[in-house]
Amino acid sequence: MNYKEEVQKGMDLLAEQSNSIFIGQAVEYKGTALTHQVKNFPSSKLLELPVAEEMQAGFALGLALEGYLPISLYPRMNFIILGMNQIINHLDKWKAMSCGMSNPKVIMKAVVGSRYPLDPGHQHQANYTQAFKSMVKNIDVLELICPAQIMPAYQKAIDSDRSILIAEFGDLY
Amino acid sequence: MTPEQLKKFEEDIAGIYEKGKIKAPVHLRDGNESYLVNIFKDIKAEDYVFSTWASHLHALLKGVSPERVKQDILEGRSITLHYPHYNFYSSAIVGGIAPIALGVAYSLNDKQNRRKGPRCFCFIGDMSFHTGIVNECIRYSIGHDLPIVWVVEDNGKSVGTDTEATCGIKTFDLFNQLRQLIKDYQCKNCKIMYYEYETRYPHSGTGVFVEF
Repeated sequence: MNYKEEVQKGMDLLAEQSNSIFIGQAVEYKGTALTHQVKNFPSSKLLELPVAEEMQAGFALGLALEGYLPISLYPRMNFIILGMNQIINHLDKWKAMSCGMSNPKVIMKAVVGSRYPLDPGHQHQANYTQAFKSMVKNIDVLELICPAQIMPAYQKAIDSDRSILIAEFGDLY
Repeated sequence: MTPEQLKKFEEDIAGIYEKGKIKAPVHLRDGNESYLVNIFKDIKAEDYVFSTWASHLHALLKGVSPERVKQDILEGRSITLHYPHYNFYSSAIVGGIAPIALGVAYSLNDKQNRRKGPRCFCFIGDMSFHTGIVNECIRYSIGHDLPIVWVVEDNGKSVGTDTEATCGIKTFDLFNQLRQLIKDYQCKNCKIMYYEYETRYPHSGTGVFVEF
């Protein structure tokens, strides 16, 4: 079982969902490791966004309100922290704010920057998974460190009615 | 509802609040009722409305009954009223509602980027209007001509802070810049509106009982 292959199977599973849409930086243009994971998906399922992580995080919530299954991609863990205002203050609390009447689901994926063969320095290597876990109550946070975890995590992301953050590791791709 | 009915609704809430019967912050407005009544004449039942922490009047004009809005306020939900059946949402986070409205507006276009029918109306206060996140969202909506109407509600203050003195930029000048951009890009769907008003209430509460 190979980490990279399992991740691709998981992404393919997400793409098979009729209402899924992959949003973020470098989904329609080349640029990051995530580009390779979506390059074979139909263009109608890809939406390139400006580098504006908070906008992207809130945008995803809005898409979900209208019936999309947004897969919001962040090429680095240190990028997603710029979207935390939306993730913590809105997505995590939306169901409670609406007394259970509205429950938008967003699938998020962030990648901890790889250390080899290029060392990107202190900022891109950061892993804030535990911090995320401590700040959310209604979003599942899954850290994928071995291949056997991957497909169950992606299946859960589809089956659950809760939003989910999947943390992957560039060094394992 | 008429401006007079809206004003009376807020006065009723203010009276209850001052008796200490609402155990949560309330954000009352005054002086903008006529503007809102005019704006909501253009808002249809299927349209989305996204609002701020001061959303009582917006909810009422979207069609939610005064009894229900009042009940939610009494139960402590004034600051984040949500009525999904009316396509109505609000947030207490400065500027935070803008990208959510933007995502919905994107969804309201079909695959050929043509409007399917409903529109979004996103209400924002003047300090929120100066924030980076709101400007990112407005620019994106202009660039893609999304079906969204941004409504800037300028009472000159953010809590008690003088918005223009603090930002150093006049809110109306910022509005004019974006309005010009909408003209330059010949947008058919994306619009921006602006009105100024003075409120007699403080940012939160009534100045009596307790401040949030």
